[in-house]
Amino acid sequence: MEFPDDGAEPVSLPAGAGPSAPVPAARIAALRAGIAPRGTAGPVLSLGAPEIDGRLPGGGLGLGPPHEIAPAAEGDEAAALGFALALVARHLAAGPGEALLVLAPGHPLPYGHGLAALGLDPGRLLLLEAAGDAEVFGALEAALHAGLLRAVVGLVAEGLPLIAGRRLQLAGTGALALILRPAGAERPNGAATRWRIAAAPAVRDRFGRAPAARWETRLERCRNGRTGAWLMEWWGAAHRFDLSPGLAGHAPAAGGR
Amino acid sequence: MRLTALDPAARALGLSAGEPLGRVRARIGVPIRIRPADPAADGAALERLGLWAQRYTPRVALYGSAEACHGLHLDVTGACHLHGGEAGLLDDLGRRLAAGRIPARLALAETAGAAYALARFGTAERVRVAGDGTAAALAPLPVEALRCDAPTVIALKRLGLKRIGALAAAPRGPLARRFGMSLVLRLDQALGLRPEPLVPLAAPRRYGAAQGFLEPVLAQGGVVAAARDLMGRIAPRLAADGLGACALRLTLTRVDGASTVLDLGLSQPARAPARVAELLRLRLERLGPGLDAGFGFENIRLDVTALDRMPELQGGLAAPPEPETGALADTLRQRFGRAPVRLEPRASHLPERADRVVPWQRGPGPAWPGTGPRPLVLLPRSEPAEDVIAAVPEGPPRRFRWRAQVHRVAHAEGPERIAPEWWREAGPERDYYVVECEAGRRLWLYRSGVHAPDRPAAWFVHGLFA
Repeated sequence: MEFPDDGAEPVSLPAGAGPSAPVPAARIAALRAGIAPRGTAGPVLSLGAPEIDGRLPGGGLGLGPPHEIAPAAEGDEAAALGFALALVARHLAAGPGEALLVLAPGHPLPYGHGLAALGLDPGRLLLLEAAGDAEVFGALEAALHAGLLRAVVGLVAEGLPLIAGRRLQLAGTGALALILRPAGAERPNGAATRWRIAAAPAVRDRFGRAPAARWETRLERCRNGRTGAWLMEWWGAAHRFDLSPGLAGHAPAAGGR
Repeated sequence: MRLTALDPAARALGLSAGEPLGRVRARIGVPIRIRPADPAADGAALERLGLWAQRYTPRVALYGSAEACHGLHLDVTGACHLHGGEAGLLDDLGRRLAAGRIPARLALAETAGAAYALARFGTAERVRVAGDGTAAALAPLPVEALRCDAPTVIALKRLGLKRIGALAAAPRGPLARRFGMSLVLRLDQALGLRPEPLVPLAAPRRYGAAQGFLEPVLAQGGVVAAARDLMGRIAPRLAADGLGACALRLTLTRVDGASTVLDLGLSQPARAPARVAELLRLRLERLGPGLDAGFGFENIRLDVTALDRMPELQGGLAAPPEPETGALADTLRQRFGRAPVRLEPRASHLPERADRVVPWQRGPGPAWPGTGPRPLVLLPRSEPAEDVIAAVPEGPPRRFRWRAQVHRVAHAEGPERIAPEWWREAGPERDYYVVECEAGRRLWLYRSGVHAPDRPAAWFVHGLFA
């Protein structure tokens, strides 16, 4: 007994149909994917802000190749970690599955209540403490090869070398892969994008509270896309990135000085 | 430090269990050899002895918490004739224990309570009391032999009821009113008026298989294949009992007799031979040259060391079952030697106690209770913030120095007061503030205690917000 190998309806063109006959949209998309440069085809994680998604190839962060995130300066590590985990939270919120966070020595474990406040369910986050950068990359590669996780994050101490970046790129299959490296450890690698994150004064509501985290993000490098810089807000409860308009001076309690 | 157990030579010196070690050393002039007590090993040894004693009867029970010492109950009802009657059984048991150099006192009586009393407090090393002689045999024994708690024993002695005979003759109503039903129950159990349930020791079922090789196995692939075959032999037995292996031990015996033990842990019960073989392959790869095969392994043994229930699942008709994240967790554990973990909430208001790390397991974790603002990274130890300048002593800081940098505060939220857990430790309460520096970085600061004119409050940085 034979089954058709996919669910596509067999297309039968009428005999008289010429080149002007309507071609199914799915077919066009498949053809586009075939001629697109490597790394732009395939699923993406949309950040939800059209200004950013428009600059990224395929309309979001590509799932598969690694993305590099770095703090802008010493002291912005928590902001960079927050940005990376916010991306993971957004991706986890879109479907079932787990994420893996591999930490090199020197990176502290995140705080469970803080993760929950960021909108990331700590029950869906596997944490693995590695003995060094080589082990971090090994664990990420094993996780990507297994193809069971939605997202993997590596917190490295040295940076992303070229070989490890290439290997991750080849291992990547539909999972969001992020590498968080310290400031100043820059080297050429196979990352699809490079983000530089700095903390920014949060917007205040009427009561003087900061309901959303806010970061100054710079997309420094973007293969097959365009770079840019934005002031981004992360709303953990809604798993949503917002681009801040010049609101900082709006709230009466802003500054409180 | 106190003495817990003595050998005959030490007992001959007049030492007794419970004495402080320092006093013993000062009191006696001879050097003594001391080993630290290991109650877990004692318990395990007693359990092994109990399993051995199942050669006499299937119902062997270890002394419980009421007995507060080491010993075994053997229910030999209906089993004596196999060893030549009660006397024959006692002789055989005593001879075998003596051959094993296990000092023991044996008592055979109608009830477990009477046997305990006679063995612990009787005069003879080996006693046998017939059915109607129980009360007479117990009468001269001290009341401690009834397995009551210490306050009851002291109170009984104060009342002059020093012997079980006197206690049995005393009117029961006042006894029960004064000491509660437990004393009367113990007395009745010793005299056989009321039943005493024992918890028999169950021999654990063992799952294991071994394979010898005429031609020693040298290659890694050979070891893995052998382990797969062994697991294939164990798996049907596990499946028949509805169990899965949580931990496995592979023992590799080399030609020259040296053996290597490899322990494999699994995050969830499993019995698929292919899965075990895959984990073992990863483990052997991690070991690499650390595993010395010498001239090859001639015997390979696989044992299941930890079990858990594993009900049969209905699989799909055609598709193989979906691989799970648990398999990945095991892979990482075998490859790197550390298991993935996850965070779970803990019922505490103290931030450093409010979460904990547990081994990763599949399934949704417990719900996280809503709290005030909490940082993304909690420092392992709160770090002091120095040179704090605040507008008012009770208010948030305006400027402070932390990690050799001066931070100017642009905005502060708070305070959130968290008191220490008085049932654990005393300490000043903390007033937490979320502080935003001018650069936009947000920190979690707290003031320890209340400000007093003679004692300025100390400030600490406890966490970093995203």
